[in-house]
Amino acid sequence: MPVSSRIYNTLFRRNYVFVGLVFGAAFGADIALDIYADKFWDWKNQGRQWKDIRHKYVTEE
Amino acid sequence: MAALRSISSLPATASRSLLRASSSATPLVRSAAAACTQIDQRRYDTAPTYGKPTTRIPDWGYYKSNKSEDSNKVFGYFMVGTMGALSAAAAKATVQDFLVNMSASADVLAMAKVEVALNTIPEGKNVIIKWRGKPIFIRHRTADEIAEANNVKVSSLRDPQTDEERTKKPEWLVMLGVCTHLGCVPIGEAGDFGGWFCPCHGSHYDISGRIRKGPAPLNLEIPAYDFPNEETLVIG
Repeated sequence: MPVSSRIYNTLFRRNYVFVGLVFGAAFGADIALDIYADKFWDWKNQGRQWKDIRHKYVTEE
Repeated sequence: MAALRSISSLPATASRSLLRASSSATPLVRSAAAACTQIDQRRYDTAPTYGKPTTRIPDWGYYKSNKSEDSNKVFGYFMVGTMGALSAAAAKATVQDFLVNMSASADVLAMAKVEVALNTIPEGKNVIIKWRGKPIFIRHRTADEIAEANNVKVSSLRDPQTDEERTKKPEWLVMLGVCTHLGCVPIGEAGDFGGWFCPCHGSHYDISGRIRKGPAPLNLEIPAYDFPNEETLVIG
């Protein structure tokens, strides 16, 4: 069975699976975009944020 | 002998019948082949070898995919699903924006009241809470401190105010924790008068929050507050 037939039969053939996949993908992509954007921001501002320099000023606890 | 004759004659009859069959089949085969080439030629819309066609019969052969049905379906449904997912994300973001819009805005928060449970503050202790972005000092004063605040000669003060004017209940002192000089936040239980001390320019406030020494011109400000019952204080 070719890969395309397997994908079609498992994901797209039944509508509830397809619609569930679509909404799941939308939900997951939203979260993934948020996480990626945060990571990118932290990477772009390395060493400038409070969490990067906190250890220099707060030593207790 | 007869058997031999029959054997020898067998190939002859067989070949004759085969020949007949082939000769009768030939026109059919040829016509079928011709039909095939004709269909083929129509499909690809090329000129037939035996002459120009008078009509061009349209068909979808040129557009037909070489791939399997399922792989075409996978592509199509993937595109549809991606579109659906993007639309769902956009719809969710729109709804979220409207809901966020309904939450309290900055001007509503700026008019907020703060409720404090007084039984959590023991006698002789300071509590600092945040109210409209500014610190509020709440002190549960002891009887000694109330007496000390009342013993001050009011006319000698820079900003003359009696302790009664500054408190609704003498045991609870509620003040805005912003130095009236340049807006620093004074430190509690410090300074020469046992009250608050502003480290920025050395203003000393007494146990009623009145300015006694240093550059500040006025006493610590008293916000609007109320005691709805014995146990709670509402500021604002």
